[in-house]
Amino acid sequence: MRLFAALFAALMLFATPPAGAQPRPLVWGDTLPATLDMHVVFDVPSQFVLLNAYDGLYRYQGNDLVPWLAESHTVSTDGLTWEFKLRRGVKFHDGSDLTAADVVYSFHRLLALKRAPAAAFTPVLAPENVTAPDAHTVRFVLSQSYGPFLAAMPIVAIVNPRAIAPHVKNNDWGAEWMASNDAGSGAYVVNAGNYQARVALDMQRFPEHFMGWGHNQRPIDQVRSRPVMETSTRVLSLMRGEIDSTDSYLPTDQVERVNRNPRTRVAQDQSMRVFLLRMNNSKAPFNNLDVRLCFAHAFNYEGFNEIILKGLVVRNAGPNPNNLWGNPAGMQPYKFDLALARQHCDRARAAGVPLNREIEIHVQTELEQTVQAAQMFQADLRRVGVNLKIVPNTFAGIVTATAQATTTPDMWVHWVSAYFIDPENWVGQMYDSRFHGTWKASSWYTNPEVDRLLTRARNSVVQAERQELYAAATAIIFRESPDIWVYNTVNLRGLTRRVQGYSFSPVGSGGELRLMSLSE
Amino acid sequence: MARFILRRVLLALPALLGLVLLTFVLTRVIPADPAAMLAGDAATPAQVAEIRTRYGLDQPMWRQAVTHVRQVLTGDLGSSIFTGRPVAEEIGFRLPATLELTFVARFLSVVLGVPLGLVAALDHNGPVDQIVRLLSVGGLAIAGFWLAIMLQLLFCMEWELLPLRGRIDVALGVPPGFSGLYLLDSLLAGRLDLFVDALRHLVLPAVTLCLPGLASIARFTRSGVLETLQKDFVLYARAAGYSPFRLATIYVLRNAVTVTVTQVGLLFGALISGAVAVEAIFDWPGLGTYAVQAILAADYKALLAVTLVVGVVYAVVNVLVDVAQALVDPRVAEQMK
Amino acid sequence: MRKLLRDPVASLGLAIVLFALVVAAFAPWLAPYPEDAFESHLLQRLKPPSAEFPFGTDYLGRDILSRIILGTRNAIAVAVAVVGASMLIGVPMGLLAGWRDNWVSDVLMRVTDVFLAVPQLILALALGQLMSPGLGTAMLALSLTYWPFFTRTVYAETRRLRGALFVDALAGIGATPTRILLLHVLPNAAPAVLVRATIGMGFTILTAAILGFLGVGAAPPSPDWGLAVAEARQHLPESWWFATFPGLAILLLVLGFNLLGDGLRDVADPRLRRSR
Repeated sequence: MRLFAALFAALMLFATPPAGAQPRPLVWGDTLPATLDMHVVFDVPSQFVLLNAYDGLYRYQGNDLVPWLAESHTVSTDGLTWEFKLRRGVKFHDGSDLTAADVVYSFHRLLALKRAPAAAFTPVLAPENVTAPDAHTVRFVLSQSYGPFLAAMPIVAIVNPRAIAPHVKNNDWGAEWMASNDAGSGAYVVNAGNYQARVALDMQRFPEHFMGWGHNQRPIDQVRSRPVMETSTRVLSLMRGEIDSTDSYLPTDQVERVNRNPRTRVAQDQSMRVFLLRMNNSKAPFNNLDVRLCFAHAFNYEGFNEIILKGLVVRNAGPNPNNLWGNPAGMQPYKFDLALARQHCDRARAAGVPLNREIEIHVQTELEQTVQAAQMFQADLRRVGVNLKIVPNTFAGIVTATAQATTTPDMWVHWVSAYFIDPENWVGQMYDSRFHGTWKASSWYTNPEVDRLLTRARNSVVQAERQELYAAATAIIFRESPDIWVYNTVNLRGLTRRVQGYSFSPVGSGGELRLMSLSE
Repeated sequence: MARFILRRVLLALPALLGLVLLTFVLTRVIPADPAAMLAGDAATPAQVAEIRTRYGLDQPMWRQAVTHVRQVLTGDLGSSIFTGRPVAEEIGFRLPATLELTFVARFLSVVLGVPLGLVAALDHNGPVDQIVRLLSVGGLAIAGFWLAIMLQLLFCMEWELLPLRGRIDVALGVPPGFSGLYLLDSLLAGRLDLFVDALRHLVLPAVTLCLPGLASIARFTRSGVLETLQKDFVLYARAAGYSPFRLATIYVLRNAVTVTVTQVGLLFGALISGAVAVEAIFDWPGLGTYAVQAILAADYKALLAVTLVVGVVYAVVNVLVDVAQALVDPRVAEQMK
Repeated sequence: MRKLLRDPVASLGLAIVLFALVVAAFAPWLAPYPEDAFESHLLQRLKPPSAEFPFGTDYLGRDILSRIILGTRNAIAVAVAVVGASMLIGVPMGLLAGWRDNWVSDVLMRVTDVFLAVPQLILALALGQLMSPGLGTAMLALSLTYWPFFTRTVYAETRRLRGALFVDALAGIGATPTRILLLHVLPNAAPAVLVRATIGMGFTILTAAILGFLGVGAAPPSPDWGLAVAEARQHLPESWWFATFPGLAILLLVLGFNLLGDGLRDVADPRLRRSR
């Protein structure tokens, strides 16, 4: 028994061994992508790998697009031919030079694999039309002019064909190897030996990164990425200093407490990520404008944004984030007004719209806010005589269901994040009927005039013209209220106070390690 | 004995085949379509269809089933379509984590459960017995996920005694070794610091997980001891002046072995299921959370493999249990013909 | 029965179960705010326990005491349905498999093995994806994985009884196997089944709570206890009452069923019968 007591005491008191000369590495607690192959996956978590292990031709710094591996670019007046001049002296992690041929290889690989990050390019770009006229110039000839082409450039990681070549199996472009290794030129090098998918990713600083390290006096040498699955564990781990960063979607109820803790703080930055409740416009009752307006006025925006989310979001009137260009001037958001909602619903009922059946709203169970929004909406809709039924689902399940109008649920709740900063990412892909069958366009909204405006905006490379066209399309869409737009996200990332130099961007939510340092 | 073992193994095989087919049907009728996820946000239906073809998801179900069984029989569990890595390799990382946690939890159940059952039996229907009963049955009644959160709040946040998450402190790195069982690896490598740290990380999840098993084992030990104490030869011995405590400890050892062995087998499957929530809360990178992630992402290759591995582990443990029982008590082998 | 009541621990269990049954039956009248099953009151969200709200309020301002009372019905309904369905499948299979040693028996027991080997939560999660997740799905998954326990119990009892003298005598006077099994073997196996069922009630409530926690149990705004703990975990440790009281409710009811089952086992266990 005494032995047990001694053992117990030893366990309790034997804290981490005395710190040696090495400072504790940065422990990043945000979600990891499923794979390290940046030509296969493209989602919010993948940005962390994309920004740190790889470089692209252009990159977002804050809300701005800046030349990165490229020094500059030119575009022909018809918008079809794009030429990028590459920076000289860029080294891959294996020490070899990054040249135009490597950029061409990267695009060929992307377009051959045809996975998520290729989706934006395949309609306008054939592999044979990416060429290298010389070692420092890359030329793209598009089959159709495409306004967001430059904005989408940071999506594409430039990879090192010499690192991949030995690992190519059955013509797979080295896909199996790339899933757990890095072939990049980025500021940090992946330690492939310790990699465990979705569990652990270790990286160390790449001293020869082309941007140099002059901007950062005390760069972080060792980074350990350890995603924490449970939100509550993540917050607690941060407050105890086991991790240095949470994801950037800290629950709003925890913000005050994390800020109060002497060890931690919350970085708050307005992002571009719109929260909305979707309606299936192709089916009754949402094929009726009055029903949609009734619902748009029955959501308690202020209650949700200001009370439940404690004002840590910004009311957003339409589908585009309000801090992006391309919005019509003076768009007044819909207001919570149950009397008005009731009028619209009564009018719809008088016109014979079946509003008595249960309306199903699908939520993403693992994302608490979708569940809270649905429950609050359910309670308010009862007051206008509408029955809402909450159906737990997952993102995978909903994406599958939205492939066809008939299987798309009546309503569902989600966000549209910033994959590239251009109205095309929001209004363009959400309401142009050519995207029907994708989850972004899952309200099945159809309006030939809107299609025409959005197509013209997509095909133009003249900024002023695009701005006007997107604003015109958005104004029409706003009046027709195909969805319920609620807020634009303020990203909330919990950080330990020793993390310095954290700098936010809507794309990748400030995960650029190059800029950070640790104070001790 | 060899024939007995052979028979037991042969009996386990059809069950495994059944399991493979059952999970296949189960995973393939899940409506979530992985192709839509792989193709990405802006992919048109045509692009999605192309991906479906590439991964053979458009084949008729029976053909996919045949392909799958053939692959499994040749030892190929396939690659996860999401992580792009061989599933066997991923499970190779995850299985030791779950096994280590399970074994330690089971060990705790035995070490605490047997003495509890013993003292309860010695005070049959007395106050000690009732208290032990209340406690052990209470252990079966606590929702693991709830207890886990409460333990975190107390031991990690309030008293700052134990780590919150993971298997080992990130700054220390992974113990070098082959087994993936951190306790074993760190001892073999002579790294006492790693051993202690890994042990500290194990305390809370193992305590949470050991409770249901502890309750059953205490319960079975109690009835085993009670039964033994009623035996005629024991009654004679008691009449001859041996204390019940001494008698019970003599017989309890053998009893404990049989009881524990049976319980380990019966509870192993339940333990892996029960581990899902506990693994999630303590961020334990084991098979349970792997399965949950696979289901949420419709990663059917991973899910199939996990179910198969769990089934195999379950079958192996049960065969071992039967063999061990037969060794302890030859009548069992007799019953099996 | 009298024996059971003499056992203080078992009668405590019985008292808890009876109390829960009463609460479940009269839930809408007992709950201070019955409309909080679906209503939300944003201005009073996450209020600590007070005279007005003895257990505090949740993240939508709903009274937690009311929701626990309303959730009792859910918990008991799930337990009864799952255990009932498992018995319907498991008991006949056990009788059939235990009666004779032939291929039918072998096949049945191997099928039982397969279902025992399927991890319960994985099956439930997969079914939850297949049909829309909800209480019905959870109950189906639990039934599908719990029946083998009844099969095993009844199988063992049937095997024990089939060699008994009275069975031979019945066969001798020309009773059909069906008759023997249903009228003579089954009643003798009943105590073991009853014990298994009572323990199963507790087990089911607990597993259903885990499913609710993992998001494949009851759908919001149901006042389900597991769901409540799941909703509460983001608000810990500030709003400790949000997770604590539903967790305690689970603990108490499961404890009640388990203590009762434990007492019943003592009464029913023939090996311990002599002991007092």
